[in-house]
Amino acid sequence: MKQAILKLPLLLFLISTIACNNSVEVDQDISANAKVAGAAAVKKVIESFILAEDGSTIKIPAGHFEFETQLIIDNLKDLKIIGAGMDKTFLSFKNLKSGGEGVKVVGKNITLQDFSVLDAPGDGIKTQHCDQIVFRRVNATWTNGDKSKNGTYALYPVQCKNVMIDECSASHSRDAGIYVGQSENVIVKNCTAFGNVAGIEIENCSNVEVFKNKVYDNAGGLLVFNLPNLPMADGFNTKVYDNEIIENNHVNFAVPINETPNGNTVTLIPPGSGVILLAAKNVEIYNNKILNNKTTGVAIANYQITGFPAEAPNWSPYSSDISIHNNEYARPLSPPDLTKDLGKLIAAKNAHGIGKSQDIIYDGFFDKSKGKDVKENPMNICIKEEKLDEMHFTLFDLHGGTDNIKASDDFKPFVCTGSVSTDLEAVKRL
Amino acid sequence: MNKAITLTIVLISLIICLHSCSKEGMSPEQIDFDQLPYEKLSEYGFFAGAMKDMQPAESVLAYRPNSELFSDYAEKKRFVWMPKGTSASIEAQENGRIVFPDKSILIKNFYYSKADGDKQRIIETRLLVKHNQEWQAYAYVWNEQQTEAQYEIVGASIPVDFTGPDMQQHSIDYIQPNKNQCKTCHNVDEQLRPIGPKVQHLNFDFKYANANIKNQLQMWTEMGYLSNYIPETKYDCMVDYRDDTQNLDLRARAYLDMNCAHCHSSVGSASSSGLLLNYNETNQTKIGLNKPPIAAGLGAGPHKFDILPGKADSSIFVYRMESTRPGVMMPELGRSTVHKEGVQLVRDWIDSLQAAEDS
Repeated sequence: MKQAILKLPLLLFLISTIACNNSVEVDQDISANAKVAGAAAVKKVIESFILAEDGSTIKIPAGHFEFETQLIIDNLKDLKIIGAGMDKTFLSFKNLKSGGEGVKVVGKNITLQDFSVLDAPGDGIKTQHCDQIVFRRVNATWTNGDKSKNGTYALYPVQCKNVMIDECSASHSRDAGIYVGQSENVIVKNCTAFGNVAGIEIENCSNVEVFKNKVYDNAGGLLVFNLPNLPMADGFNTKVYDNEIIENNHVNFAVPINETPNGNTVTLIPPGSGVILLAAKNVEIYNNKILNNKTTGVAIANYQITGFPAEAPNWSPYSSDISIHNNEYARPLSPPDLTKDLGKLIAAKNAHGIGKSQDIIYDGFFDKSKGKDVKENPMNICIKEEKLDEMHFTLFDLHGGTDNIKASDDFKPFVCTGSVSTDLEAVKRL
Repeated sequence: MNKAITLTIVLISLIICLHSCSKEGMSPEQIDFDQLPYEKLSEYGFFAGAMKDMQPAESVLAYRPNSELFSDYAEKKRFVWMPKGTSASIEAQENGRIVFPDKSILIKNFYYSKADGDKQRIIETRLLVKHNQEWQAYAYVWNEQQTEAQYEIVGASIPVDFTGPDMQQHSIDYIQPNKNQCKTCHNVDEQLRPIGPKVQHLNFDFKYANANIKNQLQMWTEMGYLSNYIPETKYDCMVDYRDDTQNLDLRARAYLDMNCAHCHSSVGSASSSGLLLNYNETNQTKIGLNKPPIAAGLGAGPHKFDILPGKADSSIFVYRMESTRPGVMMPELGRSTVHKEGVQLVRDWIDSLQAAEDS
C-alpha cells in the first residue's frame, strides 16, 4: 500500500486523540523469585546441551540461569529437555554475546517442556529441520521495557514436520509470539499469546490446526500468511477454531513509534486486528470468539496490499478458498487504528461510516484470470455468519488507486459454505 | 663442572621442549581417532618445533582460501592433513566441494600478529576431524604463555587488544563459540562440513615455504592429497575480495559468499530466509535485490529491502553489517567488531547497482 494512502478528516484525529488508550506497560521480571544459578550450574546446562546424545533427557532444575552463549541441540534423535516448570526454570539470554536465538534445536522426536526462555536478542526458541517436535508448557518472553528492542519470535519452529505446540505461552515479541514458518503438519493448541505485535502467525505452512488458544492484547491476534520467494513456496489447509481472539489493540511496536513500516510484513499490521489472512490458501475459521478488536475482527487480504513485489515462482499473492463461519463477534466503541495505512483505510473508507470498527473486511484484490468481477467471488471467499446483515462487512475495491477507493457492504456474493480438511492424527499423538 | 653445565643445559632444553614443543615422537600418523578429542593440542603433533611458531610437521600442508571470512581481524593459518596413502577428491565441478577421506584433519589457527603491543598472540585453534565418515569440530584455547592449547567445549569470551590492519588499536572481547555453535555455519543439510576448502577457493597460486609459488590444487595433487584434479580443466576461481584490481561485482559476491553463504545457501541454516548468497547464484531476488526480509526482526532497522539497488544506506545488508548488536548483526557469529573494509566493499557494490540499471 502506498505511503499516506489517505488524508483523513480532522474529526478522525480528534476521535482518536480522545479514545486512544495508551496501554500502560507493566514490566515485571517473572523470574524475580527464582534463585539465581551460579556459574557452575550455568556451565553444567551448557555442557548438557553439547554432550547430549540420541535418547538423552536434559533436566534443568528450578532457577534463573543467565547465559552468554547459545543452547543448541545439534541434530539428535529422541531427546527431551525438561525444566521444573514454566514458572520455575528460567533460561535468560539477556547477556548473549553472539548468535541470534537463545535456544536452537535440530533433530527428530524432540520434546521441550516446562521452562521459560527470557530476553533472547533474536528468537526465544528456534527449532529448524525437525521432525516430531513438541513444545509443551514452554514460555518465551522479554522482560525489558523498550519493546521495540525485543526479539523477533518467542517460539519459532521453521522448516519442520509434525509440530505440536501445546499449553505454551508467548509474549512481548516484536514480531510474532508463536511463529510457525514453512512447516507441515502443525498443531497449536491451548496456548496463550499476548503483548506481541502478532500473537500467533502461521506462515507458508500446510496442514495446520490452531485451536483453543487465548490470543489477546497483541496488535494483530492470529495471522495466516504466505510470503513469496521461500523454499516452501506456498502453504495450504489451515483450520482456526475454538480460539479466543480478544482485544488485540496493542500498539504495533515492530518499529519504533513514528517510524514508517520496514520490510517486515508485521510492521504493516494495524493494531486492533483479530485475524489477518494474507495470500492465505484454504483456510477455515470457525467457532472462534473474535471480540473487541478495534480495527477489524477478520481481514481477508492479498499480498498486493503490502506494496511489495507480488510475483514469485510457485506462489500466488491471492487469498483463496477461505471459509469463515459460526464465529462470535463484538465491536468495541473505540475507532479503528490510525497508525498504519490499512487501519487508516478501514477507518476512513469502510462501508459503515467513518471511524467504525469492522467485523470482516476483504481488500477486494482478485486474480483476473479467475473471473471478471469480484462479485462473482472468483477467489472462493465464503462467509456464513448468523447475523451477517447486522455485522460490519466491507468489501474494498483498491484497483483504482489511492484516489479512487471504493467500498461496499454487500456481503451477498460471499455467502457460501466451504470447508478445509486436515489430517493431523500423527501429530495429535505427540 | 663443564659436564654439569652441559647436563643442566640439556635438562633445561628438555624441560622447555616438553612444555612447548610437540610431544616427542608425536605425529599425526599416530593419532588414535577413537580417543579424540585430545585434551591438549600438542598431543596431535601437527607442528614442528615450538608450537607457537605454527610451523607444520611433515605432511601437514598449509592452505588458504582466496577470500577469507572476517573474524574480528584475526589472522589465520590453516593446514590440512590426511593419512598416508589417502586422498580427497573433487565431488562435482558445479559445487566445488572436496570430499575428504576418513581421518582427514583441517587445522585453523586464529591469531593476532600485533597483540598487546607488538607480540603475536594465538587465541584458538579449531580442528575439523573426519572420523567414521562424520566431521567433528574441536576447539582449543591457547594459554597465555603460548605453549599449549586446551580443549574447550562451552566457548569463551577472551579480551584481546590488538593493532588492526587499519593501524588502529582495537580492544575486543573475542568470542570463542561453543561446540554446537560450530554447525550454525559448518552446515550442509544439517551435517557438519568444512567451508573453506572448496575448489573455487583454492584454485589460485599460493606462496608455500621456500618461496615456492604454486596453484593449491596442483600442490595438493603433488602431495597426494587430491586424486582427480585435471590441470587442463577450467575450474571456477572466486576472486580475493581485497584485490581492487578485480571487478567490483565479483569482489562483492566473493565477500558475501565467504562471509554469508555458509548459512545463506539452499542447504544452510538460513535457507528459510530465501536469501541465497553463493557466488554463483544468479536470481536477483534471491541475492536480495528488492527483497523484503522474512524473519529479520530488529535486523531490518528502518529498511524495506535486503538490497535497495543504488542505495546502500537504505539496504538491510549494510545496516546489519554495521551493527555489533546480537539480534541485529550479521553474520550472527564470529565477530564483535565491524569489518569496515568489508562494509565499504558491499556499500560500493550496492551503490553501483543502480548505475548498472540506468546504463
